[in-house]
Amino acid sequence: MRGKLLDLVLVLGGVVMITPLVWLVVNALSEPIDAFQLPPRWIPRPPTLQNFQQVPDLIPFAQMAWNSLQIAVITTAGALLTSALAAYAFNRLRFPGRDQIFSVLLAALVVPVQLTVVPIFIMMRWLHLVDTTVAIWLPALVNVFGIFFLRQYISSIPRELDEAAIMDGAGHFWILFRVILPLARPGLTALGIFVFEASWNNFFWPYIFLSSPEKMTLPVGLVSLQGAVGGGPAVVLFAAITLVVLPILVLFLIFQRSFIASIASTGLRA
Amino acid sequence: MFISPAILLFVVFVAGPLVAAFALSLFHWDLLSTPEFAGLDYFRQLVTDGATVRAVINTFVFALASVVTHIGIGMLLALGVHRTMTRGTKYFVRTAYFFPFLVSWAAVALIWKYVLDPAFGLANYYLSATTNWLASPTLALPTLIVVDWWHTIGYTFIILLAGLQTVPAQLHEAARVDGANAWWRFWSVTLPVMSPTIFFATVITFIGAFQIFDPMVIMTQGGPDGATRSIVQYTYEKGFQSFEVGYAAALSLVLFVVIMVVTGLQFRLSRRWVHQ
Repeated sequence: MRGKLLDLVLVLGGVVMITPLVWLVVNALSEPIDAFQLPPRWIPRPPTLQNFQQVPDLIPFAQMAWNSLQIAVITTAGALLTSALAAYAFNRLRFPGRDQIFSVLLAALVVPVQLTVVPIFIMMRWLHLVDTTVAIWLPALVNVFGIFFLRQYISSIPRELDEAAIMDGAGHFWILFRVILPLARPGLTALGIFVFEASWNNFFWPYIFLSSPEKMTLPVGLVSLQGAVGGGPAVVLFAAITLVVLPILVLFLIFQRSFIASIASTGLRA
Repeated sequence: MFISPAILLFVVFVAGPLVAAFALSLFHWDLLSTPEFAGLDYFRQLVTDGATVRAVINTFVFALASVVTHIGIGMLLALGVHRTMTRGTKYFVRTAYFFPFLVSWAAVALIWKYVLDPAFGLANYYLSATTNWLASPTLALPTLIVVDWWHTIGYTFIILLAGLQTVPAQLHEAARVDGANAWWRFWSVTLPVMSPTIFFATVITFIGAFQIFDPMVIMTQGGPDGATRSIVQYTYEKGFQSFEVGYAAALSLVLFVVIMVVTGLQFRLSRRWVHQ
């Protein structure tokens, strides 16, 4: 009996949690005159896509989506590659100063990006890279957490495997790409999901570096749309937000297992 | 050779800027004219500028409230879901609490601006209130704490749930045989085994909360009258709106020191309660 009651409380809490998201989608699908009614109408009658059609009139949505995707893909691929190379070296190779260099990297885990943003902005301005997508992905190619995480992961892979490969005359690149990384796939996936998600959702960095609409990523574009709409059609803003949010939620439902595993293992937060 | 790409990028985008931030904080500079040596002017100004003091207090209040509500309620949720539940219920609850974490802060802040709208928002309708949440000097910051909780509780919850699943059932069984009641089993078995997870979640939540920026910028612009301005937001205003680069650098150093000290303190205190 007490168990049932607790279940009910948890389920009700869950309903409250998703209410704002349901409200978002319902309003995005409603005719402007029907939207934002109180009491809320939970089923749009009739559902319409006209708000979605208006989004491109206000912001270059497709271009923004492309920018977001491009930045997230380059960041993820690049950060995985640099992290994997460094993690392999820190775990498997011997070179002078290895442990000292690693502790310096480790200490840098507590350096917030908000501290480095001012000098990097000045550097990017000097390189004429402000308001380009390069300014967003280039600094993100080094991921201290990624190096640390993959090093832990690689250290759990038995060294006998490398030794066998060395006997066969394999070099370090071969060992890394053919022996270690295939075995580290769950770790790479977990880290990849997290880096991608963090880049896709990032607001702080693009908000500072990007100013022209056709260079913006989706999160910054959404916020700029709010300015463009003013007191006007909030339904269009809601349609745009839905276009950003819905694909992620659907992807999550499909790949829930990998997502949860990614969070539980990396424990990293955007 | 393997580490050179990472090290090169690290020097250019982490170590270099870290040193540069220290240097910048010693100069008056608006990005255009020649930098002028300022010495420790900005650090003196940090203490006398009421806005800075306010931003530091706001950020600490936000961070403390964030940690307490995330860990406390997150723990209750994890315990609630970890019991025997039907598969469907478990799936729904886990997904529902986790969904908001996937939504970017920009979207969250925009959605909640409408949810909290005094005239046509859901919040006032269901609470039968007429409050203007984000315009109230006393309620604006607590409101943002609630929105932040909604956004990130899914993360804390999943981490704690994963930790809870590592508690061996035999330990509970043994305690039960010894006659320990549910409360005592939680206190003497679950909590000690989970302590590393709770510690980790606390550290991460603190660090994330100290860096809070997005909801303030999008929902309140730091207002009303600085009531919700965070350290990072003030850094942004100084560095990128009024172009007092030196002051912005000094503010970002404050953030760095705060994060370092609080994290260091937690590691020190952890020896007393975290079981390794």
